[in-house]
Amino acid sequence: MKRFFTHHAATYSLLAPYLIGALLLVIIPAGLAFALAFYRYDGLMTPAWRGWGNFIDVAFDPLFWIALANSLFFIVVAVPLRLLAALGLALLYNRPRRGVGVYRAIAYLPSVIPDAAYALVWLWIFNPLYGPLNAILNALGLPTPAWLLEYSLAKPALALMALFPIGEGFVILLAGLKNIPHELYDAAHVDGASRWQAFRRITLPVLTPWLMLLSIRDIILTFQSTFTPAFLMTQGGPYYATLFLPLMVYEEAFEGLRFGIGAAIMLLMFLITLFIILLVYWLFEEGWGYDET
Amino acid sequence: MTKPEPTHRPRRWSWRRAGASGLFHVAAIVISLAFVLPLVWMVSVSLRKTGLTLPHTIQWLPQEPQWQNYLRLFQILPMGRYFLNSLLITALGVPLSLLFGSWAGFAMSQVGKRARRRLLAFTVILMMVPTTALWLARFVMFARLGQTNSYIPLLAPVLLGASPLLVLLFYWNFRRIPLETFESARLDGATPLLSWWHIALPQARPTLAAAAMLAFIFFWNDFITPLLYLRSQRLYTLSIGLMQLQEMDKTNWPLVLAAAALVTLPPLLIFLAVQRKFLNESWLSGK
Repeated sequence: MKRFFTHHAATYSLLAPYLIGALLLVIIPAGLAFALAFYRYDGLMTPAWRGWGNFIDVAFDPLFWIALANSLFFIVVAVPLRLLAALGLALLYNRPRRGVGVYRAIAYLPSVIPDAAYALVWLWIFNPLYGPLNAILNALGLPTPAWLLEYSLAKPALALMALFPIGEGFVILLAGLKNIPHELYDAAHVDGASRWQAFRRITLPVLTPWLMLLSIRDIILTFQSTFTPAFLMTQGGPYYATLFLPLMVYEEAFEGLRFGIGAAIMLLMFLITLFIILLVYWLFEEGWGYDET
Repeated sequence: MTKPEPTHRPRRWSWRRAGASGLFHVAAIVISLAFVLPLVWMVSVSLRKTGLTLPHTIQWLPQEPQWQNYLRLFQILPMGRYFLNSLLITALGVPLSLLFGSWAGFAMSQVGKRARRRLLAFTVILMMVPTTALWLARFVMFARLGQTNSYIPLLAPVLLGASPLLVLLFYWNFRRIPLETFESARLDGATPLLSWWHIALPQARPTLAAAAMLAFIFFWNDFITPLLYLRSQRLYTLSIGLMQLQEMDKTNWPLVLAAAALVTLPPLLIFLAVQRKFLNESWLSGK
């Protein structure tokens, strides 16, 4: 009996670094962020209590609403497109056939490129005068816009470049497809179901939990992944068209040393994310009629 | 496009099937082109002559590739130093992440049902917390501990196995090993640490390869954390060097993209080395 308990304790002790990490990197910072949102803090002086002051400042700052709208644009436009692209790739490259290994590897390539390098390559691609994108459009006789310098095109351009690094979602959906038993398709075939019906009734329901998980993860990652392109490529411009919430937090906290304001924006961002996630959850549960059995 | 055909049905050659296969390869090649073009352009521009007016047309390969552009990088900025710094962080970060991540995944696969469910839910929640929402508070915390301008904040995620996703990957892998195997090892007097090393890890080689690659990308590709924490130039990483270079001369595209290619090369090589281990049928289907 005693040996059982020591064995048990030894198993749990393997969890110690992980739990300490969660405490140090997530739980304490989350509590701290919550507290900071109610203080004035510049990183040097002792924090001073402000109550709801930070939130009121944020609410009356028109830039906050612009940044929020920009971030929401990205969630509404880029996240579903990324998900569709990953799903399309997974379906196309699912069946083992000659060359499919190479195609899969190539589809993963953009996900391997470091964010900073990826941003700078696309800065070149979008270059209005010398960039290859406009060279191609020019050769085809199409209009050659100034992309990142144009107010209406800067955001869609950043969304376009976000469509390629989708390797993780692609692999996860590919694994999801592999776990669908063949018998289901055989039975559907015998019953005379069309390919579309088989997809609609078998593939999609099985993938739904994965699609939900991926869309939630992508929404969260979007807040992070919009920072580097906006920071390195557009600096939030033109006219704040690419000012996303994380860039605004960076500017408030690390450039303006208004940590309290930054924390308040982050807290609002967190609440909005939570709301969107619940919405996504509800959408998948209600709209697609998936049930666990 | 969906693949409901079972693979075990005997197939005969037919025009229709050959046409479908041809169509598949055409589509796959067009898609693949879109996915490699950024890399191709990165390298092709990095080999152009610097200081010349750039051509308005696409030049796939410059007439005289300027390999010395890559040497110039190391003369303009201490890129060698940055490279070693990135390498040091990654060389410490990857093995420690695999160690702690696989420990956590292993322990999760061994504890009782209730504890396991709670730990799983906890891990999923950790994965769902937006890191962006924690930047600032983490920074204030590490600043209080006197750990800005140090590699501690950059390496701290090793405790979480780089990302909770890796912990889940290990957990899923270890769950597939029958519990009786561990039970009999325990009766033979094996400690959990011994079971982890001798039973669990040897059966997780493809997962280890995939996790090592993800951890490598996590630490090597990190741009935001070094940007927030590192203040002195001797500590800078390659990604920060890339930003510095771009700030020095925004129009010097050959040099900027040569630096981008330099930062991209190590994770690319790692990916090409391990991709076969996890992009194949057996790992993907979890068998």
